[in-house]
Amino acid sequence: MSEMTYLRAISDGLRTEMRDDERVLLMGEDIGVYGGAFKVTDGFIEEFGADRVMDTPLAESGIVGTAVGAAVVGLRPVCEMQFADFVSCGFDQIINVAGKMLYRQGLPVNITVRLPSGGGFSGGPFHSQNPEAWFMHSPGLKVVAPSTAEDAKGLIIASIRDPNPVIYMEHKNLYRRVKGEVPEGSYETPFTARVAREGDDLVVITYGAMVHTALEATADLDGASIMVLDLRSLVPLDEEAILGAVHHCSKVVVVDEANYTCAAGAQVSALIAERGFEDLDGPVLRVASPDVPIPFSPPLEAAVLPSVERVREACRQLLEY
Amino acid sequence: MATSSTDVPIGPSTPAQENPSAHLTVDDRVGLLRAMLLMRAIEERAMNLYRQGKVPGSFYDGFGQEAVSVGATWAMGAADRLCVLHRDLGAHLVRGVQPATILSQYMGREAGITSGRDGNVHFGDYRTGCVGMVSMLPDMMLVAAGMAMAFKLRKEQRCALTWFGDGSTSRGDFHEAMNWAGVQHLPVIFVLENNQFAYSTPIKQQFAVNPVERAAAYGFPGVSVDGNDAEAMFEATRIARERAISGGGPTLIEAVTMRMHGHGAHDDMKYVPKALVEEWRQKDPIDRQSARLKELGVDVETLVKEVRAEVDAAAKMALAGPMPDPVTATDRVFHPRDAEEILLEDGAAPWSGFGS
Amino acid sequence: MPQMGVSVAEGTLVEWRKQRGDWVEADETICEISTDKIDTEVPSPASGRLIEVLVQVGVTVDVGTTLARIATDARPGEPHRSENDPPAAPPVAALATPPAASADDGPPAPAAAPAARGSAARRYSPVVQRIADEHNVDLDEVEGTGRDGRVQKKDVLSHVQARGGGRAPAPAQATEPTMHIESPYRPGAGAPSSGPYVAPEGRPLSRMRQSIGEHMKRSQETAATCTTWIEVDVSRIEIARRQLGITALPLIARCTIGALVEHPLLNAWLEGETHTVHEQVNLGIAVALGEDGLIVPVVRGAQDLSPEGLSRRIRDLARRARARQLSPDDVRGATFTITNPGQFGSMMATPVISQPQVAILDVEAIIKRPVVVTDTFGEDAIAIRPMVILGLSWDHRALDGAQAARFLATLKKRVESYEA
Repeated sequence: MSEMTYLRAISDGLRTEMRDDERVLLMGEDIGVYGGAFKVTDGFIEEFGADRVMDTPLAESGIVGTAVGAAVVGLRPVCEMQFADFVSCGFDQIINVAGKMLYRQGLPVNITVRLPSGGGFSGGPFHSQNPEAWFMHSPGLKVVAPSTAEDAKGLIIASIRDPNPVIYMEHKNLYRRVKGEVPEGSYETPFTARVAREGDDLVVITYGAMVHTALEATADLDGASIMVLDLRSLVPLDEEAILGAVHHCSKVVVVDEANYTCAAGAQVSALIAERGFEDLDGPVLRVASPDVPIPFSPPLEAAVLPSVERVREACRQLLEY
Repeated sequence: MATSSTDVPIGPSTPAQENPSAHLTVDDRVGLLRAMLLMRAIEERAMNLYRQGKVPGSFYDGFGQEAVSVGATWAMGAADRLCVLHRDLGAHLVRGVQPATILSQYMGREAGITSGRDGNVHFGDYRTGCVGMVSMLPDMMLVAAGMAMAFKLRKEQRCALTWFGDGSTSRGDFHEAMNWAGVQHLPVIFVLENNQFAYSTPIKQQFAVNPVERAAAYGFPGVSVDGNDAEAMFEATRIARERAISGGGPTLIEAVTMRMHGHGAHDDMKYVPKALVEEWRQKDPIDRQSARLKELGVDVETLVKEVRAEVDAAAKMALAGPMPDPVTATDRVFHPRDAEEILLEDGAAPWSGFGS
Repeated sequence: MPQMGVSVAEGTLVEWRKQRGDWVEADETICEISTDKIDTEVPSPASGRLIEVLVQVGVTVDVGTTLARIATDARPGEPHRSENDPPAAPPVAALATPPAASADDGPPAPAAAPAARGSAARRYSPVVQRIADEHNVDLDEVEGTGRDGRVQKKDVLSHVQARGGGRAPAPAQATEPTMHIESPYRPGAGAPSSGPYVAPEGRPLSRMRQSIGEHMKRSQETAATCTTWIEVDVSRIEIARRQLGITALPLIARCTIGALVEHPLLNAWLEGETHTVHEQVNLGIAVALGEDGLIVPVVRGAQDLSPEGLSRRIRDLARRARARQLSPDDVRGATFTITNPGQFGSMMATPVISQPQVAILDVEAIIKRPVVVTDTFGEDAIAIRPMVILGLSWDHRALDGAQAARFLATLKKRVESYEA
């Protein structure tokens, strides 16, 4: 065990897996000599060489498409999109080539695509998005989103080993803000939910950076006992954990940093409506970014992203209901 | 010289030759004809099945373009990997996919390569080293480049090849793949199947400069080949493969040909001048190869009969096969963690130059 | 809808000045209406919260129709002038006729009775209703601590605990969702039933039923009974029976007799250690006698009879059986039995062997089914064919499965290739 940041935990996971498995190959823009826009692969090129820490042309479709080709002949590429937002340029290769290959022709595509996502630092409309729901809606792709340093390492290792395309959402705002004890060596975090805090009166269901917002918002809320469920994996979605939490608490607040419509939390809410109805003691409340691009100027961005206050207010409303 | 429906210069084309390749035995030359005959017979049978209502969806064929896929695939080694386009049934046949499997595929039957999950020539049998196309062309240029990248990283003497059409050259993935392959000097062969029309759009509305000329801008050679000559296609691909596996980098081959049928079975192709179709009919690749072999004393008539009988039997077998079980519709979206790893496997490589 | 003139019968809602959830003071304008005499504002009859809008803008309704409901109780922390409300259920004022009620904040209008369970004023969440049902709780008795006195899960749970009657589940510890098979039913907790069940008086079984019962029980105790089925295409039987004007039974019986001649081990008796194989087929045919039971008269020397002959004999025996005219000889000495319940539409059975015989054939209903047929050129096709399932119960002491299966295969062949 050693304490490290979320960012270093991702690096540690990548390094561990690259040492264990020579098929693992990193591909991305500026990840080699420069060490990546966020320094996740800092020092990697010295240890693993330019072949395995590949500085690619500026071509997101090219990164994903060539990764698919390398995967089906035996490599295990890990692609970095410099910002999650840029994945739209590689979207077709992910959705139509990687996501459908196994279903159509029985050929698994073992690639991992890292998406540094999320806002909170004036990144503006092209460096702040949370596009995970795009991929949840496309069959054949797994989607994970760690919130802690320990899970960041365990999930990157599990993603690389999973034989399917995995979209790994890493939240930029957690990179250096979140620290934690991380086990040494190789381990995998399962694609299931985790109870971030036990509680009885209400459950906040969320993932990624919003886990920390939810924990802060509900740490001391008029003495109420509030559970926080960290989904960790969005595909597959841990339905039993969600329904178990709903059964236990009966009041639910679902939080997404992503835009409101058809977000991951919308799927969670629909699941509860379908299968948890008998356990509800009030409406399922959602907190998410409104359906606008993420603005640049700090007061505008703060007005859009779900805050500790907004989550707290939603919980209060529902506790009183 | 190849003729095009446009005033865009289409680059140098190899003049028709009696013996375009010195690397083909008589058996190879018969093999090329046989594969082309098989492709045509299967597609004709499939078109009949389509008209009889046995092929769901639409149907796309490669009538008149048989030499492009058959000739190029003949030059590929067993450990090489291919990403196949929908006009290139011949590639699957040369690599060893059985006619009954292909007809089952067209009819959405359980025995098709995709077990009914995808139609037409949207398939690749991974057991023959082939990846099927997706409809977003030319996505497979990048996938082929990625395969070649892996070969190069592992220092393996193998190469990847993919086909794509003239319309594909307008999309960004064409540029991304050409650039990537050029930058990384990859052992990949890009075969531009210029059949003059992307659906109904003629090439003069597709590009201002023939894409074969763009190859130089990406740092590797581009050659224009008579796409209706299987032996010329073989020879160009053989040279490109030699270059690839000896570290010489990628090659763009423009196969100049003509789409003799509509885009799909639904398309009456009214937008194509009849005279153009007539002109290209004189250059039919099967007629050309048959004539060559008759000169050599090969009994082509018997070959034709054998192929017909093979396709008859295949059709009978495919028609007797069941449709997929509806309960399987939601299977195989994810590969289980503990299941065996599946990768592309070696395919048939019939060229005598490989010692077979 | 207030009466705005003697001749006015209806009015149209023009605009709501207050929305659902808004606070409204007595006499404050709550909406605008339009009638053929006058367009006017409507003042609220009481102070309170507008909880339900019943008539939408643009809708025309009769005078006297309730337009909206106003809750006249207090919400903690909200400005509220009305001090005279009963505490438990919020009273509701209706905005309606008579117009005289308008400025009156006295007793509510008739339409404004305290809300019943499930009304707009008091709704219960799914989990509250489920817990109430499980513990037989009258939710009207439960004090709500939620918004507007809403009953929350914790309220109903503490009510159950305070009452001490039920075993309130400890929700804080419960971790598993309710399973489908778990019922809210609790033994002893329910209301008494409407009255004790009085069973009708019993009667002794008829002699025939007793005799059948003894016989069947003895067979089951004696034989090692197995049952084997085969599905048979009876197209040719159907053609033949139409030609001959008889039922299918004698035709199938004829085929059965032929099969028995080929497989005589099934045309046999087993008595203790003694196994007797018969050359002559004495065919027992089970005949139902309504509620009284059934009887199995015997066609002797059946191997020598044509289908028409069999048909005549079966009909004769059945008629005499139903008329209670059978002699003891008519029901003795069967070497093999056919039972034919399929006439009532059933598809499959496991018949009981009539001792000391070693097998019995069960003929079930003939049903048209899609089947795969292969034509003379070897081509498969799906065809509609009359099919029947034949079941053979056989005694494993005398026979083995292969013999039973071979017999059925022979029978199938004979039926399917039957030539009249």
